[in-house]
Amino acid sequence: MSKLDPRIHEVLDGELPLERLPAELRALVLRLEHAAGLLRAGPAPASVAGRVLAALHRPEPSRGRRVLQWLTERHVITIAMRPVWSLALAAVLAAVVLVPDHGSAPLLGAQEGIARFVGHFPGARSVDVVGPFTDWHTGVVPLRDDDNDGVWSAVVVLPAGTHEYMFVVDGERWVADPLAGRYVSDGFGRQNALLIVRPVGR
Amino acid sequence: MSGFADAPDADVIARILAGDGDAFGILVRRHEPGLLRFATRMLGSPDAAADAVAEALIRAYRHLASLDDPTRFRTWLYRIVANRCKSHLGRRSAQRVSLEEAAPVPDPHDGEAELERAEQLGLVERALRTLSPEKREAFLLKHVEGLSYEEMAALTGERVPTLKMRVHRAREALLEALKEHR
Amino acid sequence: MRRVALFLLVIVAPLGAQSGRGSVRARLMGRVPEAAIAVVDSVVRVAEGERLPTEPLVQKALEGAAKHAAPGRIVQAVGAQAEQLRQARTLLERGGGTPPTAIEITSVAAAMVRGLPPPLAGRIVTALPDEPPGPALHAVADLEGHGFAEDAAVDLIVAAARAGLRGLRLLDVATAAVHELQRGATHPAALATVRRALPDVPWPPKPSPAEVNRARRPRPGV
Repeated sequence: MSKLDPRIHEVLDGELPLERLPAELRALVLRLEHAAGLLRAGPAPASVAGRVLAALHRPEPSRGRRVLQWLTERHVITIAMRPVWSLALAAVLAAVVLVPDHGSAPLLGAQEGIARFVGHFPGARSVDVVGPFTDWHTGVVPLRDDDNDGVWSAVVVLPAGTHEYMFVVDGERWVADPLAGRYVSDGFGRQNALLIVRPVGR
Repeated sequence: MSGFADAPDADVIARILAGDGDAFGILVRRHEPGLLRFATRMLGSPDAAADAVAEALIRAYRHLASLDDPTRFRTWLYRIVANRCKSHLGRRSAQRVSLEEAAPVPDPHDGEAELERAEQLGLVERALRTLSPEKREAFLLKHVEGLSYEEMAALTGERVPTLKMRVHRAREALLEALKEHR
Repeated sequence: MRRVALFLLVIVAPLGAQSGRGSVRARLMGRVPEAAIAVVDSVVRVAEGERLPTEPLVQKALEGAAKHAAPGRIVQAVGAQAEQLRQARTLLERGGGTPPTAIEITSVAAAMVRGLPPPLAGRIVTALPDEPPGPALHAVADLEGHGFAEDAAVDLIVAAARAGLRGLRLLDVATAAVHELQRGATHPAALATVRRALPDVPWPPKPSPAEVNRARRPRPGV
């Protein structure tokens, strides 16, 4: 990148009149001013006033609230099991279901925590979370959008620590979670989102 | 109310804080053209810009009471939008490039002058996108939004000499990019 | 096969565990291209010999397969991951004390891959010798990701640790600074506000018991 004659900067900063510049330098000043003029006068983006004023009359929706809405609906999860495991597991589960909820978190290990995945994918037919905790398979942690508002979510138990992940939309489009805030290069030319799961006991 | 629509920002803010929430519409309509233009040039996408500016305005309304100096409302707004743009750009490097970032297609019914202008704007926009977010922001705030170095200092928290240097480098980078994109 | 209605699914393999010897090839077969399996397996064996965590290496190969990367690319990525784990362990061992766990090594490696320059990471480890560096490194990386200057970010996190905030609470310090930014503060003002408030930094919201009870564990083998 070549440095410009400092007088050009002085003119553009309003510290020197344009007429004091030699012609060849004046051309560069005019070039920049022309570029700025084009940017200033380009097609005007549509107003957001309606949208902003409408939002002010609504209570502030939190990400957690949206997830909570999803969670208060009933979800029954079934899995197919080998017969030799099913009886033992049924016994364990009976104990688990019968344990009253005292407000603590008896069902999580000391080194486990909760991960909430939320994504805005209007029009998607399916959204999965994929990462080491799914062996990078799709279909293991599907997100759900039961009210069809385009907001997909899932809540998952994961070991405490760092987890890389991506969303896979419609089985084929890989997307790094735009809401993640943390990203790492995946070594394959893209980026994974990074999640830090905290143990529930803190 | 139409007389009030021209009142200075500080007066409108005082009215909003006194309970007239609808008066915020005056501030929105007053400032959104510049904010939208700035965000569109920063992000290269009118839709992303609309989201960033709408969110920033909503956030500004909710935090209006925490504004130290109501006469600096415009600078404060630009700061919130600039921060959102930088966060968005940081996130976006992780995603696929969307189609809307392709150069704008001029309407073939436009006259020759309009077509030429649209083409030139496309060139400048592509050149602008080669600048780092910091330089892009500096150039836009100085030369498109017309902020003074002092206003930019209040906005970014950087010192004026630092900002001057940044704007100078931005100008150089933009001229370089315009040469290559001819 | 019996179908059983569940609120919880079965346990996931803990992160950072050592992959069983024979099972590495078994896990890769049918997913990772044949041409890559032998090389990945040997990288895993070498890492095992160095007592590095091997699960992240297997996962990197599976990730490459899922993303349809070429065999050469997969091998390269697994090798790079091994190197990152090595560097992370070296950094952790500089702090002295007990040998680092697999989770600590993986966490620090992830922080470095986020782009933290090694000298900066070294500064943190030196400044906080009694502190497992993973959370501190991620907190600094969080701040950097939002445009905070490197040195100022390290200063804030070190100040927070010295004010008594430990481990994952350091992430909350970074979050607090980012929230100040989102409220319209400049970067320097955001850091100053959080620093003045130390050690008083908001906690993240805790999941409710109902949320915990309804959460699902992934079961990748199904």
